[in-house]
Amino acid sequence: MSVSDLVASFAIFAAKQEGSEEVTPDHILLGCLRTISRFGIARIGPWGVDLEALGVDWIRRPEGPTPKVAYSSAAVELFDRAARIAGAEGRRKVEVSDLLAAFAGEERGLMGRLKRRHGITNASWRTAISRIDEDATESRKRSTNGSESGEREYLTPEEAAEALGIHVQTMRGYIRTERVPAFRLAGERAIRIRRSDLEKILEPLKG
Amino acid sequence: MAVFVVTRDLPGVTPELLQSAGMRAKSCCAEMTGEGQPVRWVRSFFLPESSQTHCYFEGPSKAVVEEANQRANIPFTRIFEVVEMTPEMV
Repeated sequence: MSVSDLVASFAIFAAKQEGSEEVTPDHILLGCLRTISRFGIARIGPWGVDLEALGVDWIRRPEGPTPKVAYSSAAVELFDRAARIAGAEGRRKVEVSDLLAAFAGEERGLMGRLKRRHGITNASWRTAISRIDEDATESRKRSTNGSESGEREYLTPEEAAEALGIHVQTMRGYIRTERVPAFRLAGERAIRIRRSDLEKILEPLKG
Repeated sequence: MAVFVVTRDLPGVTPELLQSAGMRAKSCCAEMTGEGQPVRWVRSFFLPESSQTHCYFEGPSKAVVEEANQRANIPFTRIFEVVEMTPEMV
């Protein structure tokens, strides 16, 4: 599952939680924020966005019958804009930062409310978004240089992401959705993943 | 599961817009599969000279493939069931 798959699944979940028949740009923004969040807080530059304050139950998973949802035309435009941003950056795959950047000029809906609440401008939002991937890269470098991650049985989320060559936010998404088992050090906030458990998220290619 | 081809006429479409449509198709297929209606986007071919796109899906029925495309909000012209043939089968 790629990061954009995770965003889409959270966006669809947000729409279903709301009882909406359409996935709107607001749901996609919530999907982005949930993807990059830790413990319900999405950190973007100087801003910490509390998902609970936005009405998102960031722990609950869908239960029972839920409505069928379709992407709205506005959501299609948002995905198109994010794909063009990725293309302009020389990438084909759309990352969560491309989707967040696609909201930069948005003044309506949830993005408009966040802008007004936090004093976010188009430029300050794009500046903060541009650092999301840099922060993750630095974090990966620190975890690789500062330890013998190739030999230890238990890895930090950063080391586990490095071992699979994926973004740390993707790994955090796997932990949140319980696709990979994770453990908390007793009495601590630190999370560890067993190296052997990483194989559980690898699927063989069908011939 | 049966294989279906979804034909689309997309004049002026760009690789970026195809990428966007692909993301939506993939996520809607995953969602429907999670809901108990297994459907999978297999691959697509874009024919630049005719602006046509042929997208192959696996699913239990034409209706399920149609629903996946409607949920993904990707326009299409027709959906046909296809019979797959590969060199290994000959």
